[in-house]
Amino acid sequence: MSRSARLYAMSGALLLAAAIACQQLLPGLPDFLYGLLYGLAIGLLLVGVVRAFQPDGCDDVTPAVRRRYVREILPAMIGYVAALFLSIWLLKRVDAPALRALIALLPVPAIALAMRAIMRRIRDADELQRRIELEAVSIAAAFISLGYLAAGFLQRAKVIDVPSSAAMIWVFPLVCFTFGLAKSVLSRRYR
Amino acid sequence: MRSRVRELRESQGWSQGELAERLAVSRQTVNAIETGKYDPSLPLAFRLARLFGEPIEAIFQPAD
Repeated sequence: MSRSARLYAMSGALLLAAAIACQQLLPGLPDFLYGLLYGLAIGLLLVGVVRAFQPDGCDDVTPAVRRRYVREILPAMIGYVAALFLSIWLLKRVDAPALRALIALLPVPAIALAMRAIMRRIRDADELQRRIELEAVSIAAAFISLGYLAAGFLQRAKVIDVPSSAAMIWVFPLVCFTFGLAKSVLSRRYR
Repeated sequence: MRSRVRELRESQGWSQGELAERLAVSRQTVNAIETGKYDPSLPLAFRLARLFGEPIEAIFQPAD
């Protein structure tokens, strides 16, 4: 396992332990804080898993493309977190439906910018990397579509009951995670 | 496909990273070409040939 994978996995595990400890020892805190801690912990653990499968994570694009990607994705993700907090905070205080729709959609432009950064990274990758990325995107799209289709049938049969908002919000993170995992496994083929 | 890319690169004293930079590809791609796990496209093969000053057929040969 690479150093960065260990670092992500350990930070995730520590944060998860902190989240559980907070919930047990400080039960009065707002749910929002527990959610944030659990979300960050699970996110770090998932990145650690993807990194563990990735043979040489930092060598898959040229340094110039990598620098531009970091320059574009970081502000987008920071903007997303800020917009998400603002949106959650405002939604508790606003009742007008049209305004609520606007506020609920606040985090979307930041995610669109993050998607743009990912697409620009794929477009400017070299021919082998584009082949790997294309295959990984195809696997992620097929896998998540199939999973959602299966879950949809289960839900229609009243076997499971997943809230629709959670199901819709998790599409993009699940695609990203499956894409990362597929890419890591596919990259090994060319080592 | 068998290739002489590693041999030619080493004769120039370049690392995989340096060759990758000259070809504007990733280091992983140079490694995959050298180990025969990836056959480059014709434009990339021409770039390699031009860089090493050799004809393409002197760098890449069919595996059998």
